[in-house]
Amino acid sequence: MIEKEKLKSYASKLMFDMKDEEYETLQREFDVILKQMELISLIDGIKDVEPLTFPFELEEAKFREDEVKDVISVDEALFNVKDKLHNQVKVPKVVE
Amino acid sequence: MENIQMNIIDIQKKIKLGEVTSDSLFKDSLNKANKYQDKYNCFVTLINTKEQVNNPNSLLNGIPYALKDNISTKGILTTASSNILSDYVPVYDATIYKKLKDSGAVLMGKTVLDELAMGGTGTTGHTGMVKNPWNSECLIGGSSSGSAAAVALGIVPFAIGSDTGDSIRKPAAFGGVVGYKPTYGRVSRYGLFAFASSLDHLGCFARSVEDVAIVMDTIKGHDEKDMTSLPDESVVYLDSINNDIRGRKLFYIKEICDRKRYENINDEELHKTLDNFYSVIDKCKEMGFVVEEVSFDETLLNAIYPTYISISCAEATSNNANLTGILYGPRSDAKKVNDMMFDARTKGFSELIKRRFVLGSYILQKENQEKLFFNSGRIRRMIVDKFNDLFKEYDGLILPASGGIAPKAGSDDLDKLSKRYLLLENHLAIGNFGGFPSITIPSGLVNDMPVAINITGRVKEDVVVLNMAKKIEDVLGCKNMIARGDK
Repeated sequence: MIEKEKLKSYASKLMFDMKDEEYETLQREFDVILKQMELISLIDGIKDVEPLTFPFELEEAKFREDEVKDVISVDEALFNVKDKLHNQVKVPKVVE
Repeated sequence: MENIQMNIIDIQKKIKLGEVTSDSLFKDSLNKANKYQDKYNCFVTLINTKEQVNNPNSLLNGIPYALKDNISTKGILTTASSNILSDYVPVYDATIYKKLKDSGAVLMGKTVLDELAMGGTGTTGHTGMVKNPWNSECLIGGSSSGSAAAVALGIVPFAIGSDTGDSIRKPAAFGGVVGYKPTYGRVSRYGLFAFASSLDHLGCFARSVEDVAIVMDTIKGHDEKDMTSLPDESVVYLDSINNDIRGRKLFYIKEICDRKRYENINDEELHKTLDNFYSVIDKCKEMGFVVEEVSFDETLLNAIYPTYISISCAEATSNNANLTGILYGPRSDAKKVNDMMFDARTKGFSELIKRRFVLGSYILQKENQEKLFFNSGRIRRMIVDKFNDLFKEYDGLILPASGGIAPKAGSDDLDKLSKRYLLLENHLAIGNFGGFPSITIPSGLVNDMPVAINITGRVKEDVVVLNMAKKIEDVLGCKNMIARGDK
């Protein structure tokens, strides 16, 4: 079974924590999922295959010209910010 | 039948004859939504003031509809059913919302989903569980739970959902309505809150294939704001679903639905669902389809679910890194920026979401990437290549949308490694792996609950899939169904 400490470190990298009993559920879940993942390694010839990252070749996808488009106002950009000052997002001091 | 519960063309005729107005339709829709809200919990937000662009040329002009609450609507609360976005108000419109607005359709509510669209039960939204309109003890499924339930209850003629693994097509099956996931890129995703970008699609629910075609004609089309958007096509779906299925060939997969494989499983609903499926196959043959059984590498089929979990959780972990509580969402009063984010994310995500994110993080760790993440991409290619090969010979894949009726809330008795779970409950993700157009249509009732079939076809041939579905729907007669559980 995967160690709880390992799971805690992954959660911490993602910037959240979980309750002890939640880690225990996760350990049990990992047990099932890792068994399912083992099914993947049973497939013959897998190493010669290029991973598919999109459903099909996106022939239309191309970079557009670097022109200013669809600008939102400062007020809109700050619309959902809880704490702001002088048209900027206010956060606690970063440099002590 | 009440006006709001008629099909779109009939409602439109009544509007033109002056027998009903868009104002009264909107009012009826809201009244129904309010009446059912406490019992079924379809909506996060109801729009109490009607706003409409008048577009007499559109079949959707004046028609009320609902949007899943992970679609950006300027000035209207959009929560993705998560505490971390519980007070978020977007400052721009999603393309799909803009297109519907321009068509004259009238938004009446934003629907509940599984938190951040990650889940298939309808139980994890921050405002509570969505219940199945056919039996409120049962799940409706998810993640587009409220949209499916709102259409099943006859609150709206159509609703919009998103589908990353089966999030439109499974709740449609459990709710007795039609659910359509078009070809990847057919509908712009600009303004959809991303879950797993390589698998995410927008699509719709309605009570008939014809109504799906009408909605699709409005929401499809190229959008330069979405790099995965397909070019425009000249075909009008509504005009092209003519029931002509001459020469069309369908296949089903022996390893997924052969009754002999489940002989020893004591599950009455499973057996009745398979009986329903094979009766549909017989009818398809009678109506002129060629239908053949095809054998498929079972190891690959068993890998569908782990491959889906691996790709979707990894992409979700990355896509949701923007949810920090700094620019939007609940702020913590911690004294350091990092602690603020840590706090906001700890309190803002539910347990299920955190478990999925941790799994995604595990899959993306350097030491696991090759074995899990890249191998999943390889399996994805192998599966998609095989289906593309089959689609050279066949026009569509037909399968039961699920191995049974909607499960009871709180039951978790499907062994996650069992044949039923790995195959019958997860094959719909094939449509997301390959971006194939895929539709679920009701096929009857088992123990007074709806069951459904799914048809999946070639990429970019949405109209072929819709046409085949329309023909089957006409013969089965399971359309315009309103959930009977609440009468």
